[in-house]
Amino acid sequence: MEFPAALFPSYFGVGPPQEEGGPAPVAGWGEHGQVLEGGPGRRQVQPVFVPRRGAMGERWEAADAAAVPVLLPSAGCWIPSPAPQDILYRSSLCRKLRASKPGSTLDFTRQLGHFFVDHPEDAFGSLGRLLHKNFYLGNSKLKVIVSRNSTIRMTALVEDIDRLEARRGCPRQHLASRLRWFSHLCRDWLFEVPLGLLADCLHEELMQQWSNLLFDDSLTGGALAWLPPEDGGTPVGCLVHPGGQAMNHLYFQDVVLEELPRTRGSPAQFELSGRVQQVAAARVDGQDFVGVRSDYHCGVWRVPCKRGAAPTPLQVIRTNVPASCLTVSPHLPGELSVCTQSGTVYLWSVETGLQQLRHDPQTMFFRDHSPWRWSDFTAHPRVLSCADRTGLQCLDARAPKRCHFDLFKVGEEAGCQQGERVVLPMYLGRAHPSQYLVTTQFSVYVLDERLPLVPVLKWAHMMKAPPLFAHLMPGKPGRSHKVLLGASRTQELLLLQYWDSFWGVSSGGSQSACQLVGTPQKLHSIAGCLEHLPTQLPHRHHLLQQRLTAPAAGLAATLQEDGPHKSMLIFQLSEAGDVFCQRLTHKAAQPPAPPSRDEATTAPGSSPLFEAPVSSPQGLGAAALRYRRWLRALSRTCREPPRHTWPPSLSQRRLFTRRDLEGPAGPSSLQRQMRQQLRQTMEEGGRIQRWEPLALQPPPLPQTLEMEGNPDPLSARLTAAWAGDWEQWWEERTSFSVAQRQRALRERRRRQKRARGHRSLSASFTSSLTYQSELSELSDAGPPLLSPSHPPTLSQEGSPPASSPLIHSPATSAAPDEALLSSQNLRCQGIPKERRKTLRDYLSLWAEGPPEPPEPLGSQASQLCIPSSQSQLSSASQPRRKRPRMGF
Amino acid sequence: SSNEHKLNFKKSKEACLSYIQDALLQKQWERAAEFLTYYVESLEKDYSRENIGPSEMIWRIGTEILWHHSQSSLKEFNCFMEQMKTLGVKRYLKVCLEHVFHLLCNGQINEAYQNLTLAESWRFGEQTAIQDKEMKLIQAYRGLLDYYSWSKQKNILLEHSEDGFSDLAAEREMHGYFRKAAVNLKEIIKIPGVWDIFVKCYVDLLEFYGDHNEARQVLNEYAYNSKFPANPNAHVYLYQFLKRQGESKKSLLSALKILHDIVPSHELMIDFNTMLQKSKKRKKRRLGLEVIFAALDYAGWKENPKAWSCLARQVKQIVISEKHLDWIKQEWNSRKDWWPAFHFSRYLAKRNWQENKSLSYEKALVAGILLGKGCKYFKYVSHQGCKAQLKRFRMLKKFVNRHNPVYLRISG
Repeated sequence: MEFPAALFPSYFGVGPPQEEGGPAPVAGWGEHGQVLEGGPGRRQVQPVFVPRRGAMGERWEAADAAAVPVLLPSAGCWIPSPAPQDILYRSSLCRKLRASKPGSTLDFTRQLGHFFVDHPEDAFGSLGRLLHKNFYLGNSKLKVIVSRNSTIRMTALVEDIDRLEARRGCPRQHLASRLRWFSHLCRDWLFEVPLGLLADCLHEELMQQWSNLLFDDSLTGGALAWLPPEDGGTPVGCLVHPGGQAMNHLYFQDVVLEELPRTRGSPAQFELSGRVQQVAAARVDGQDFVGVRSDYHCGVWRVPCKRGAAPTPLQVIRTNVPASCLTVSPHLPGELSVCTQSGTVYLWSVETGLQQLRHDPQTMFFRDHSPWRWSDFTAHPRVLSCADRTGLQCLDARAPKRCHFDLFKVGEEAGCQQGERVVLPMYLGRAHPSQYLVTTQFSVYVLDERLPLVPVLKWAHMMKAPPLFAHLMPGKPGRSHKVLLGASRTQELLLLQYWDSFWGVSSGGSQSACQLVGTPQKLHSIAGCLEHLPTQLPHRHHLLQQRLTAPAAGLAATLQEDGPHKSMLIFQLSEAGDVFCQRLTHKAAQPPAPPSRDEATTAPGSSPLFEAPVSSPQGLGAAALRYRRWLRALSRTCREPPRHTWPPSLSQRRLFTRRDLEGPAGPSSLQRQMRQQLRQTMEEGGRIQRWEPLALQPPPLPQTLEMEGNPDPLSARLTAAWAGDWEQWWEERTSFSVAQRQRALRERRRRQKRARGHRSLSASFTSSLTYQSELSELSDAGPPLLSPSHPPTLSQEGSPPASSPLIHSPATSAAPDEALLSSQNLRCQGIPKERRKTLRDYLSLWAEGPPEPPEPLGSQASQLCIPSSQSQLSSASQPRRKRPRMGF
Repeated sequence: SSNEHKLNFKKSKEACLSYIQDALLQKQWERAAEFLTYYVESLEKDYSRENIGPSEMIWRIGTEILWHHSQSSLKEFNCFMEQMKTLGVKRYLKVCLEHVFHLLCNGQINEAYQNLTLAESWRFGEQTAIQDKEMKLIQAYRGLLDYYSWSKQKNILLEHSEDGFSDLAAEREMHGYFRKAAVNLKEIIKIPGVWDIFVKCYVDLLEFYGDHNEARQVLNEYAYNSKFPANPNAHVYLYQFLKRQGESKKSLLSALKILHDIVPSHELMIDFNTMLQKSKKRKKRRLGLEVIFAALDYAGWKENPKAWSCLARQVKQIVISEKHLDWIKQEWNSRKDWWPAFHFSRYLAKRNWQENKSLSYEKALVAGILLGKGCKYFKYVSHQGCKAQLKRFRMLKKFVNRHNPVYLRISG
């Protein structure tokens, strides 16, 4: 490859970076950078200039509105990695403190508490066994017996602890003296592991987790690789990706390139002994070599180019320190380079083993605390680049100590900013043998190893998170190369185009410098499909959101040319193990298209993704079908795990005296009737609807409410809102005279009081049924379209899951609560007015315990597994806590 | 409260900016332009103390939109740029430069020149280091445009002189351009940097007026000053200048030797090798072998037929003369563990044979000598060649078979 005859002008300085700055949101726009004459060869009337950035590029447009799943979700539920709220301390006190001191506080005590609760055997095993005879936790008074006089009553202490937990976050926290006394007494001997040591370990781990949350560099390089089809062969490539609950399975999945890539056959699968952090691949002599890095193991596989042939594992190495990099040589078969966090760089050959090239725990150009190291190959098969956060150096493997040169330095040489650090270097050999890509958190650089230190291209990429993944798609001669940058946490994907060198228009064949062409283009992220999915129940939406917004873990892409049609397929892997794909099609130069459809204004569920394209024979787009299958499989794989925690059971004794809680002389006749029927039904194993007198008639449909002479205001308002003339309703409403309103109000209250006892119960009942029916419908097919003409109330009662007796447990538990909660009831129990609300809130909290109906066996139900969703589930099934108060 | 107001304003500003950013990244220029009109309001209440203030953002975003918007014109662009220049004093020169770049890329050379002249006369208080650099660049680009005017004038005059005319006024004008260009170009190339285009133009001017010493000094400085980056082009320009001057072989070789030391994979290494091979001195021929071996180490040269034929020729020479086999041996020693897989695999033999027969001939010759007649590459290519009844390949087979003992001596 020739060296460009002239480079773009630039200043060259040495030393640390001068420019102050930081993340700049728009720094990459509106600059040509420099210009260079396009062709001095043939004399023209006027010289022609070309810009360093801003020349026309190719037009690529997304074929679909969102990325589409390639693989079905793997069996076994995904465990999300910790979120900031899991390990950070949150309280008003803390917020006050933080106002003076920036930074976040780790919730150390909570984590320590978790350890004690989750691993009591490890925390207090032996002393617990020794002491358990001497501690009494019951409620009754301890009778002093001579033989057991060494037993003490600890109940009060436990209650103190409970109360402490309940008052968490209260700024006026008084530490119970009893607790202090106890901890002072037993701190030294109670714990299995000395408390100081345990705390140190925990703190270290917390710090580690927190720094990983801020920036996790173990994923650098990405854990997704695409092995392209054989030249001229069938369009079947191979996707290499990790999977499984712990991401410790490696899959080689054949993928047929069609309109939407389709998997073929079942994947070759390998179980590894650690989480797969990186998958790197390179093709040498018609064979693909795939390197896989986990923290302490690196392995290499050979995959023959012919698809269908099984991949062969070649060798595995184990490291004492976590490895931070693994790259595969594009020059020689079976050669890789490995870096570890201790600052060691190895050249790893399958034939000859490991050769240590460098060992230096210090960073190269200035001091930086990060142990991250990277290494890659260069144009010379014996020269390797090695990088840390401060820059890149090239080493000759034949004499690594003597022969090296600096390729990139974070400093004035490359015009860096203060605080800028190398994030990912990548050898661009497939596009140009001597070019190199270096990304930092602010910019992306292209370097030529023949002109070290001075970037031949620099551009501020403006990504919100540092680009941890990059993928090169070399263009054929005369066409631009494409580079994809991907961030992990924000799932950003950016497509750039550049020319390694443009041929001067009239320069008589001499090459010119590297140029960034076209505008950078943002591609769909996995999370972006959320708005196109059919409307979901809130808890399912939350689960989907959690799943789809999981940090990205890898990136791969391929260019596909089918005659005049050129397209680009981009695969993105998420930490949850999902692989999504999107297709871009190449548009030949044409007048600018009419303004594209405004994505932001499309309502959820009504996206073009789910509209039936005319061409599709099935009536629905292939993408939509993919989504349905994926959603169904997702709900099937992620079932409710067995619940360990019981609903909180709190003693009421401390809030109310016994007299408060004593009911009236006896249950009312209605209550008696209810209880009796309940008992009878339970004995028979029958259905509970039977005692409900109202349920004998079908419930009124919304339309009938309109017909009603004097509907209650809520129904009237809802009906009006439903019909779309809510405003008019409001006008009418406000024109009511005060007297009229008061009269109406009194009337309504009277009616409500009369009806409250059983009506609220039936309301909770119907809604729990609704919930179930919605759920089963959703699991049947993707979009649960609850049309207004199909009110999901008791009309579903005949369906088998709804009629299962198990479902009615919430209703039964709700029955006494409701009776208890009615203010009439409370008053007649002699509970003072100011306490009634407290009690009501309290009891409703308590009633939330067993919220959702347990799953009927063998049905296609679809509860998901995240504990935090429980409260949402329950709120879906019990919308009775607040009575609507119209007009106040 | 005002604090809250500020906070809300900041939030909506940020939201607006993110909408713009989104639109830009999705090439929705119309949408971005619409949002930008709202964003302009942020100028009024600019509370930010950030690195890039709203005025710079508006400049950057606006420029980008005007580049791509279907209905923008150069006139509008110029108008926008004029407004942006007045928006921030610190950025005046930068905006001017970018404006000039855009004009140049659109072929508006005269307008660009006017803008450069205007920018050059701009003064505002004390200049910062960055402004100083920008000013130097503005002057340099003006010098460059002067050079192009000069060169145009020169061509016209040369044509005229062929016709026998002489035009004193035009000549004077040309000299005027020369002076203006030379002053500015000379300034910028003193500062460390990559100034390929400026150096080339300046040297062209000097050569035309016969100031070869100055030209040589400039090129030497550009190539050998350690404050400058190790730019291969600097050495190439020097080499080309020496060649034009008809300098001795020795000085040409020494210029190329330095280029070889910094960029062993430069394309001029073919010329270097050819020159060295022709030399009578043993040391030089030895260096030639080193140069060509080193070039072929690089992936970019892997399938370069010229380089392979150079190596094949020299290796053949050595083998026939049976002198200096140790040279080959020494070069081969550091490569014998990876060249076979890198250059001489069976896969490559197949591919080279399919794509470029003469390349595979040269490579097979080298492989046969270095690795013996049992080498996969040689066997495949000679077999295919004989099958295709090509005389060359039969000769090749005979040659390698005859000199097979050489292989033993090299590898031993």
